[in-house]
Amino acid sequence: METTFRKRTSKATVKVVPRPETLNKELMLGGIIQGLAVTMRHFFQNVAREKPEVTINYPEERLKYPLRNRGLHRLMHREDDSVRCVACMCCPTACPAHCITIVAEETGNGNEKRPAIFEIDELRCIVCGLCVEACPCDAIRMDTGEHMHVVDRRDDAILGKVDLMKRGISSTAVQGGEPNWQERVKTVPDPRFR
Amino acid sequence: MAETPNPAPAQSTVTLKIDGQSVTVPKGTNVLEAARSLGVSISFFCYHPGLSSPAVCRQCLVEVKGQPKPVPSCYTPCADNMDVLTQSEKALTVRQQMLEFTLVNHPVDCPICDKAGECTLQKLYVEWDSAHARMDYEKVHKPKKVDLGPTIVLDAERCILCTRCIRVCDEVAHDHQLEMSYRGDRETISVAPGKQLDNPYSLNTVDVCPVGALTAKDFRFQMRAWELMTTSSVCAGCATGCNDEIHHARGEIYRLVPRENQDVNKFWMCDDGRMTYHEIRQNRVAGARVQGETVPLDKALSFAADRIVALRGSSGSSGLLGVVANAQATNEDNYLLLKVASALGVDRVYLAGRPARPDCADDILRHADMNPNTAGARAIAQALMPGKAKGVPQLAADLEGGALKALWILGDHVDLDEEAQAALARLEVCIYQTPHQNFLSDKVNVLLPAAAWAEVDGTFTNAKGLVQRIRRAVEPPGEARPHRELIQLLGRKLGIALDYPNVRMLFKEMKQAVPEFAAAEYGRELPVVQLRFAGSRG
Ligand code: SF4
Ligand code: SF4
Ligand code: SF4
Ligand code: SF4
Ligand code: FES
Repeated sequence: METTFRKRTSKATVKVVPRPETLNKELMLGGIIQGLAVTMRHFFQNVAREKPEVTINYPEERLKYPLRNRGLHRLMHREDDSVRCVACMCCPTACPAHCITIVAEETGNGNEKRPAIFEIDELRCIVCGLCVEACPCDAIRMDTGEHMHVVDRRDDAILGKVDLMKRGISSTAVQGGEPNWQERVKTVPDPRFR
Repeated sequence: MAETPNPAPAQSTVTLKIDGQSVTVPKGTNVLEAARSLGVSISFFCYHPGLSSPAVCRQCLVEVKGQPKPVPSCYTPCADNMDVLTQSEKALTVRQQMLEFTLVNHPVDCPICDKAGECTLQKLYVEWDSAHARMDYEKVHKPKKVDLGPTIVLDAERCILCTRCIRVCDEVAHDHQLEMSYRGDRETISVAPGKQLDNPYSLNTVDVCPVGALTAKDFRFQMRAWELMTTSSVCAGCATGCNDEIHHARGEIYRLVPRENQDVNKFWMCDDGRMTYHEIRQNRVAGARVQGETVPLDKALSFAADRIVALRGSSGSSGLLGVVANAQATNEDNYLLLKVASALGVDRVYLAGRPARPDCADDILRHADMNPNTAGARAIAQALMPGKAKGVPQLAADLEGGALKALWILGDHVDLDEEAQAALARLEVCIYQTPHQNFLSDKVNVLLPAAAWAEVDGTFTNAKGLVQRIRRAVEPPGEARPHRELIQLLGRKLGIALDYPNVRMLFKEMKQAVPEFAAAEYGRELPVVQLRFAGSRG
């Protein structure tokens, strides 16, 4: 069979924005002087301070990330360790970077549908977290605290279902919410979360 | 004999008021359609303009002044001086209550429901209910995956018992295959024991199902409906030419669904026709080949042109060249081929296509002729080369008799037997432009990659003589191009000036040359739209 079809996964295109060119910009002198001024300001501020505190010695020293930090994705498990994702494709729909590719299949059991292929191109991901928001099943999370890994080839940055599930744990979220969630939510102090 | 006074002509229209606006409609029109003609939309589930109205869902209730109870607008014929209120407090309340009632046992598993994005129930709920369920006990559960037949799976829980699917089988396929069983909240759609839902129009039930209860095995879980783009086209499965929509996403076709055309297919389409999209992407010829070797397109064209020119030098002006028009190709392609042929002085013209399948024909939609453009190819041949076009048997005879030295074939199908194929392989030059590899592609010495019907713009003429527009939905693979472009390129190499930058110009010229097409319109360009809650799709 002699068949070559162009493969297209993304609908994204490059948008070219023209910038006005001025003499100041062409010479770049203004920019250099401004930049030097900022550097010098920080230099003197730091010298004047008792304990300089802008730089840490990464990677020996590391900052503690806040709890809501968004790291690499992971796919959560059901109690029987199968994938929690039901391949509803809400996350690729929400994803502004079009970096999630899902192919669905039948499970053959009561869960009906699951992803046969689940791939995230972490290089293309803009780490917005919309996929996590969109998921109705608590199946995808970004709470690994891991950075994007160093890769030699672009393809290595595409995480598949196995990679994503390796980081996952069992999720205890109840489908459709806990039985009396409507009552309990009224007791939450912050009105934004009601 | 006493003169009988002429009876007053029976009044054929009625005038009524809907939401204060006066409207005149033909007698017998129901209130729902009259309201739609005013742009007033009333929600409904069980009504379908192509089917009878049993008024079982009560989602279309409206208030009629002077009547004590709300009436189903899909079932109530318009009458003179009727005063209908569709948006009154009472009408809106009853409709909202009906929606809540329909949702009582509905599983609302939209994330895994194939209909999500084109579901009437989902749309109505989001548009004007959006309330939490007031039911606080376990819903009635029914089987989630019932195999109804070779093409369809039923999710009994999602079914809202509108009976549209039953009526499609009864009234379109004329085959009573579906039935209600059990009662009350246990009621389900089912087939008779030991029977299947397997009529040739079964997939129309999936289209009309307003919810995700019936899903096509072919499309199930393949793609979410909201990702699909629609391109209006015409089915290439047979000579009926059912109007359809090609649903595609990211360069792949996912399904074909019927598009309303009261003169051709009304709202329907046959199952075989829907499956024709599969073969579009199978066994494709993606690059040109000369004597079995893959070569750049331009080289293949030059090779063919050189051989033809040499033949014309040695054996008279026609060069014993024959051309084969094809009922699988568009009017424009056939027209251009025959135009080039007459410019070259060719007088051997044949008409090919797929063999007829009388066993597949019925008097509903399906036609025995499996080609979308037989009428068009015939009309063009008659206009451009009156009386010269012959059938495939004559082609076989000419091949075997050695009356031909060169042949230029428009693909994809030419029904030749073994002997004729062997004769074809002995030709000096045989140019075959085809989208698909088949039994001929190894026998010819110049194979040109052509685009398939979903990859080109153009027109087909159906068995009734209607010239219908097809549109490009996806890109052809590799180097493949529309037939007309290949003909133009080869024609230019043969020294014939051809310049048609677009199909519209070609169509305009063809319209003047072929009397059958005089009244045809090329039609406007339609934007490709993303499928979101498309109206008639149930
Ligand atoms: S974080 Fe944002 S960009 Fe990355 S996969 Fe999720 S939705 Fe897409
Ligand atoms: S939104 Fe959640 S359940 Fe749906 S496909 Fe994405 S990860 Fe899977
Ligand atoms: S039928 Fe409609 S409302 Fe019901 S689960 Fe499917 S999409 Fe949702
Ligand atoms: S299966 Fe669909 S079309 Fe048939 S009765 Fe149920 S909801 Fe209506
Ligand atoms: S649409 Fe009128 S009762 Fe169902």
